[in-house]
Amino acid sequence: MRGPKVTAVLAAGALALTACGGGSGSESKSSGGEFTYWSMWKENEPQAKVIKAAIDKFSKETGTKVDVEWQGRDIRTKIGPAIAANKAPDLVENGFDVINSLLVSTGQAMDLTPVYNSEVPGEGKKVSDVIPAKYLDAMPKDPDGVTRWIVPYVLNSAMYYYNKADADLATTPATWDDFVKLCDTLKAKAKACVASDGDNTWTNFLLLDYLLVRDNGPGTLGKIYADKTGAGWDQPGVLESAKKIEQLVKGGYLLKGYDASKYPAQQTNWATGKAAFHLDGTWVPSEASKNLASGFKVGEFAVPTTKGGNTEIDIIPLGFAIPKKAKHAEAAQKFIAYFLKKDNLTGISTEAENMTPREDIPAPEQLTDAQKLLTENPSRLPLDGVPGDYLDKGIAPAFNDLWLGKATAEQFVAKAKQGHINFWKANG
Amino acid sequence: MAVSTLAAPSRARVARGGPLERQANRLFWPFVGPALAFYGLLFLAPIIFAAWTSLYRWDGMGEMKWRGLDNYRTLIDDQSFHYAVLNTIKILVVGGVATFAVSFALTLALREMWGKMFARSVLFFPCLVNALVFGIAAGFLFGPDGPVNKVLHLIGIDVVPKWLSVDNLPAMIIATIVWTATGYYTTIIMAAVDQIPTYLYEAAELEGANAWQRFRHITLPLSWEVVSVCAVLWTVSSVKVFEIVLLFGGGATTNDAPIQTWTTAMYVYFSAFPRSSVPKLGLAAAAAVVSLVMVGLFVLVLRRIMRRERVVL
Repeated sequence: MRGPKVTAVLAAGALALTACGGGSGSESKSSGGEFTYWSMWKENEPQAKVIKAAIDKFSKETGTKVDVEWQGRDIRTKIGPAIAANKAPDLVENGFDVINSLLVSTGQAMDLTPVYNSEVPGEGKKVSDVIPAKYLDAMPKDPDGVTRWIVPYVLNSAMYYYNKADADLATTPATWDDFVKLCDTLKAKAKACVASDGDNTWTNFLLLDYLLVRDNGPGTLGKIYADKTGAGWDQPGVLESAKKIEQLVKGGYLLKGYDASKYPAQQTNWATGKAAFHLDGTWVPSEASKNLASGFKVGEFAVPTTKGGNTEIDIIPLGFAIPKKAKHAEAAQKFIAYFLKKDNLTGISTEAENMTPREDIPAPEQLTDAQKLLTENPSRLPLDGVPGDYLDKGIAPAFNDLWLGKATAEQFVAKAKQGHINFWKANG
Repeated sequence: MAVSTLAAPSRARVARGGPLERQANRLFWPFVGPALAFYGLLFLAPIIFAAWTSLYRWDGMGEMKWRGLDNYRTLIDDQSFHYAVLNTIKILVVGGVATFAVSFALTLALREMWGKMFARSVLFFPCLVNALVFGIAAGFLFGPDGPVNKVLHLIGIDVVPKWLSVDNLPAMIIATIVWTATGYYTTIIMAAVDQIPTYLYEAAELEGANAWQRFRHITLPLSWEVVSVCAVLWTVSSVKVFEIVLLFGGGATTNDAPIQTWTTAMYVYFSAFPRSSVPKLGLAAAAAVVSLVMVGLFVLVLRRIMRRERVVL
């Protein structure tokens, strides 16, 4: 008979404890408010550690209770149901493409202009002063025409990586002709020019995407996408860009075996020095860091220019967004501005090895060239921000044929146009 | 199965006379009711909700907009759905035939083999391993410089297939599924075969039946019911094939698996949770309804084809 009594005492004790806890909790709530934050990082990732340190400081300084959940990449499948159930988190984060498709084009993202107009605590500058407008103006508009629905704290990009310590690569190619010439020189020395994993379609497509704007001007793919008739594919400049890809493939400049490899096999081969160049997102240097050949010094250069003269650089921002249905948006907005403080954001560069959108925070050493390129050139979104669906269903089958050497440029254009028309027939 | 469900109520009606049966009849609904309610709530209601959702355009958060049958028209026009259906049927039919052919061959061999328990465990092992492992292992094993090609080079074969190229992926995926499923079905079929009295085999041997004839006239008829259940299990599971395709197709990278490798389950997933497109829950629901109807039809046809008089010993 002792059992139940003991349990009762314990339960009462527990109740008393929780009552105490609740009391002090509500006290801090009244002073600085509270908000829920769903992170795309897992708790042990370096980005999470930087964010967590900032949250702790923020809570201490403002008395705000931050209820953070380290959701990881699954977050994108969880935000929608949470909003539908009216339990939207007050602060979420992801790449611009995910936020755009999930929250912006569905009209669920809050306009963050007030954050941009607010001050970065203790710096005497507004948020809009520390994040260059060119990184934001490229963003797709929401149904109300808003482009300020994301506040980025990581700024990724896509460019060519190479080994600065390799004497053969002392001068990086500025134009496409230089690029091909350098590839030829390397070929004569039995060295592969470019590494690529055949199954990594998005990454491989980055080159054609770049060449399309280099040859035809800003927003080419976006315009092709928007014209449902598919006439965009018939522009002579599009064929010209495709021919450059064909030249690369037929010229044998791609590291052998790329057409049957699985990511990240060839990326690793590049890191070990088997190919000179690799085009992908700026996460590659830290991803490949474990495999880098000894003495390898990572540098970047942009996809070379063509006669078109365009020098735009891809931006892949990753940052905060607030669902319209958030109940504590104000507190979340304050935290965003707080996190952009130089001493908070620096950790993203030094600890997590990502570039930040603040030009006064130096990029990690292996991305110094990348930051310079981003600062000096106009910005664009990769694939002009067209939906991922369009690449997967409309163009990927045609592009893979071209990239894997099974189709000519002309065949690619014809098949891509057909894929485009089929895509719009199904999605129009 | 159909026979037994029809038989039960008619037996009940005939047996109305006895007091025990009357009692049993009175208890029919109290016993069946809760199960039926659960079934309705957890299975039928979601199916009805899916069918209803499939008539709308819905991003999962905002308003649902009426589309009528337009989602189904999209499926007809969508090339990626064609691939999905085709691949699913390929897995079901080609994979099914291969799995059962190998399973039967193994059954033939295993029945009389020394150390068959150990062999069975070995065969069953791939079934226990997460598909994730195969996806990652494939990239290593079948890569251009991987061990498989190295071994082929050693034995003098220099023209090796591009194992992991998009064209070969569906075949690689089916082969992996067959490999993992074979042990599972062999184990079930062997359990049935073990029940067959050995004297039948001895008698057949005395009368000069060879291995194939013993299989054809003893093993197959006497394990038929189990085999037909396995066939249904296979059909149902093949419509759900998902993670293995995701992993083979490079789902871990920035892009989704190529549409040439999609199955209906993947189509549903990528419509509901696209990486960088607006979620289309209506379309996902329509695809799910179509695959439900598809698997339903397959099971129905399969049950009809495989219906046999039960052999009673």
